[in-house]
Amino acid sequence: MANDRLRALEEVENQIATILQYAGNVVLELSKDKHNASFLDRQLSQVTGSVNRVATELSSQIRYLTQVATGQPHEGSTYSARKDCQMALNRAEYTRVKLGELGRTCEVMLDPQL
Amino acid sequence: MANQRALPQSKESLLQNYNKRLKDDIRSILDNLTEIIKTAKVEDETQVSRATQAEQDHYEMHVRAANIVRAGESLMKLVSDLKQFLILNDFPSVNEAISLQNQQLRSLQEECDKKLTSLRDEIAIDLYELEEEYYSSRYK
Repeated sequence: MANDRLRALEEVENQIATILQYAGNVVLELSKDKHNASFLDRQLSQVTGSVNRVATELSSQIRYLTQVATGQPHEGSTYSARKDCQMALNRAEYTRVKLGELGRTCEVMLDPQL
Repeated sequence: MANQRALPQSKESLLQNYNKRLKDDIRSILDNLTEIIKTAKVEDETQVSRATQAEQDHYEMHVRAANIVRAGESLMKLVSDLKQFLILNDFPSVNEAISLQNQQLRSLQEECDKKLTSLRDEIAIDLYELEEEYYSSRYK
């Protein structure tokens, strides 16, 4: 859910860059002696379309944040579950070490030359 | 927004500031681009000489283009601030991420303990057989 919103904001950043690019294309075309009117119209419509999309998306994000923000710090934590999982992994590692020792002891007993 | 809570003043003013920045930057981009296009029109009659008018238009276009770029950069900064605010204050997604992480860690712990328990049961069976063999031999 959070990733979707962050990806939407990254898409907005790309659109802001394209707005500037299209605006630059418009100015470049105006600097020529003979303008291509259809090209100008296309670039301008893309600028206005992108601007509207950026404004809509950012307004929607700000509206969502107005609804969910509480002003308090989040006090959730995964410490408990992480600690229990770490202890389980430590038990598994200890078991592996002990079984390894047992295996080496058996090999020594079976083959005295080791 | 019937269920809107009373936010602390700092958060509310911050969000209002974001709205204001958004509106100002969007308006700046559109207005300056419109004025550039208007300025590009060559007037037949001017109050000053053509060269002076051209110089003035040139300078004005420079300034307006710089304003458009400044507004674009300000919008990028706004998006960055919104991302930061979202990460810190979007409690529904933070709660979801925490519960998902807890679930994954607990399932890993349960799987680990289940395998250790089955290993213990297998070794107990083998130990029983070894003890039987040992205690019925002459080496006990």
